[in-house]
Amino acid sequence: MSRDLNQPPKLLIRRLFIYFLITSGVFFTGCSKSPFADLEPLPVNDYLKKPGNFLGNTYLLSAQIDSQIEWEEGVGRILAVETEGSTSRLPVFVPDSSGQNLNVGQRYKMQVSIRKGGLIYVEDLRKF
Amino acid sequence: MWKIYASSSLAWLLFVSLLNAQGGAPINGGRAATAQPAQAGVSAPANGVFESNSFLEMANRVFDPSSDSMDFENGSFSWKGKTFNIAEQRAFRSRLERFLLAFPIKEEEQYAQLMSEIMDGLSVSNNNTDDDILDVWQLLFRASDFEIDGGNSTIIANQVFNAWRIRKESRGVQLSHRDLEDIRKYQQDIVANRARMLKLIEGRKAENSDSESADALAISGIPTEESFRVSDLVETEAKLKALEGQVAATGLQAKLQFQSQIVSFLMQRRFEHALVLSGFYQVLFKGSHQTLEVGKSQLQEFLPGSDLTFTVDSMSFIAREAINDVKKGVETVNTAYSERRTMLALERLQEVFFLGEYSTALNNIPAEQRRHLLDLYRNLIEAGDLLEMKDYTSISSLADEISKLADDFPKTRVLSGVETAKSMSDMAVFAASQFRNVGQIEKAREELRQAIDIWPSNPAIREFQMETTKLATAGSQGVNVFDDLYERNDRRAIFERRMELGFALAEDEERRPLLMGIVEEVGRIDLLVKQSEELMKQGEAYAAWELLNEASKINGTDGPMNQARAELAPRVSDFVLQVDRADRQSEDGHHAAALAAYMAAQDIYPASRICREGIAREASALIAGLSASE
Repeated sequence: MSRDLNQPPKLLIRRLFIYFLITSGVFFTGCSKSPFADLEPLPVNDYLKKPGNFLGNTYLLSAQIDSQIEWEEGVGRILAVETEGSTSRLPVFVPDSSGQNLNVGQRYKMQVSIRKGGLIYVEDLRKF
Repeated sequence: MWKIYASSSLAWLLFVSLLNAQGGAPINGGRAATAQPAQAGVSAPANGVFESNSFLEMANRVFDPSSDSMDFENGSFSWKGKTFNIAEQRAFRSRLERFLLAFPIKEEEQYAQLMSEIMDGLSVSNNNTDDDILDVWQLLFRASDFEIDGGNSTIIANQVFNAWRIRKESRGVQLSHRDLEDIRKYQQDIVANRARMLKLIEGRKAENSDSESADALAISGIPTEESFRVSDLVETEAKLKALEGQVAATGLQAKLQFQSQIVSFLMQRRFEHALVLSGFYQVLFKGSHQTLEVGKSQLQEFLPGSDLTFTVDSMSFIAREAINDVKKGVETVNTAYSERRTMLALERLQEVFFLGEYSTALNNIPAEQRRHLLDLYRNLIEAGDLLEMKDYTSISSLADEISKLADDFPKTRVLSGVETAKSMSDMAVFAASQFRNVGQIEKAREELRQAIDIWPSNPAIREFQMETTKLATAGSQGVNVFDDLYERNDRRAIFERRMELGFALAEDEERRPLLMGIVEEVGRIDLLVKQSEELMKQGEAYAAWELLNEASKINGTDGPMNQARAELAPRVSDFVLQVDRADRQSEDGHHAAALAAYMAAQDIYPASRICREGIAREASALIAGLSASE
């Protein structure tokens, strides 16, 4: 009998715990979604073979900054980046308007668009 | 006697030391001066001119087996300030070779012993009697029986016999002289008595004063007895003087004959005979007659610069010194040979041989040693002859042979000199070819002359001449050939025929610069192709390709360069693909795509100069374009 008296609080605690787990899981899943999650990754090898085929498209580029090739005040900088999933380096242009400090060795997820002449133009970028 | 000998010996020693201190006899002066440049060895080319004479002088010195004291040019041999007439080199050489070929024989030892006995027998210290001297004199006839003596002992024996005969005759003359003196005394007495008697008679007659009888005596005019006696006395006086003169002349003649023979022996380097004859002279003639009256001019030549009074003592001193020197010289030769200093031994042997050619001490050089030195001597003479002909190839092989015979032969110095001479000649031929190819014929001729002068048998000279003949034949058609090839832009063909074209276009002001430009251009391509081959050998395929790429920019149609590129392409295809892509994109103005391709290529070959320059160029162009569009 005494056993029946003790059971209701234990059951309640267990049910509350399960509820908490479910709600927190739903919450965290919704909050951790990548900002460029909707973007396709840039097919680097194909791009190198024929950059003209990708003009006007927007892609996600996950890369680490290798070196800065050129910079002009008020215009922007050309960076050499090592892309994830490929051994090749790519040149990307980051306009001055991005307003970020970009350091060699940092890794970024970039939203890039392919512009005239095959230029990889960085629209937005986030560290990761 | 000993005092005189000692003082003259000291004076002689002083004289010799003074001569040596002053650098010896004047005849050596020129020799010393010329020996200096010979030690300079081979000179480096100065202003493009090879001083071949320096090598020749050095080599001449190395291959000249003669001693410094021998001067074949002046035909003299200098020994301690004394100058001997060496005669012709060929004659000396033949005598030396004859000696080197001869065997020392027992007879020569016996002769040496006999001569030693004779010299001992005449030694002043023995206090010899007349009988002892006679015994020594008889030994001379035994000595003259030996072939090596050359009959010189007989000459001495005859001289001595002559002196003895003169002395004997002199004794007979002395007897006659004594008789005449007695007669003269008797005659003088008669004349003196007659004069006294006449004076006495005249005195008595004057007292009696008989003038008539006196007149009669004075007028008569008949010779008196007094006058006859005076005439006899004068005649006797004249006979005495004639006899005295005859004695003096005969004695002087014997002395002079002795002295001239001593000088003659000395000049002939017959030192032992000179010593023997001097010994006899000192025994036969008085101490006050030791000064030499003859051979003064010969002695002045023999001892140049000397103003000493020559005596028989000084002659015997020289002879004794020479004999001792020969003995020491032979010991030196044997020691040098036993210590394997064969060159040194040969050089000293020549001095010793010339000085002591007639000396018995030379027999102490063993036959085997003589043969070895003869081989060396002959090889050195031959090398000297080859050197005169500048036959360097043969000299090199002969130097090997000589070095086997003589450990102290400076083979390395000779070979080094030979190699330098050969290189200099080759360089001159090369320079001549270069000048010929660019049409500077006069300079080419000058260089060729120099090449021939240094090494006349240089095979490169023959090749040069054949090549030039060929070019001269082809040169007449040169202008047409050049125009045709130039029109077809076959620069490689022009380069390959550059020599004949250079010859043909030497005076063509219009075409010559074009030819020079093409030669330079293709030469540069060839250099790059060669460098790329070297890099390929080191496994640097990408670097090699870059050099070929650079060569292709000079002339993309060059055959050998394209062939090299084609051979290399499969090994660097990934890199070439990216670079070609970059170039194409760049040409189309797609700087971003070009930049990406260059970076991809750089990933393959990080040290690439093409990529480094391409990236810098494309990045600048890209940023400039973006800047303009902003």
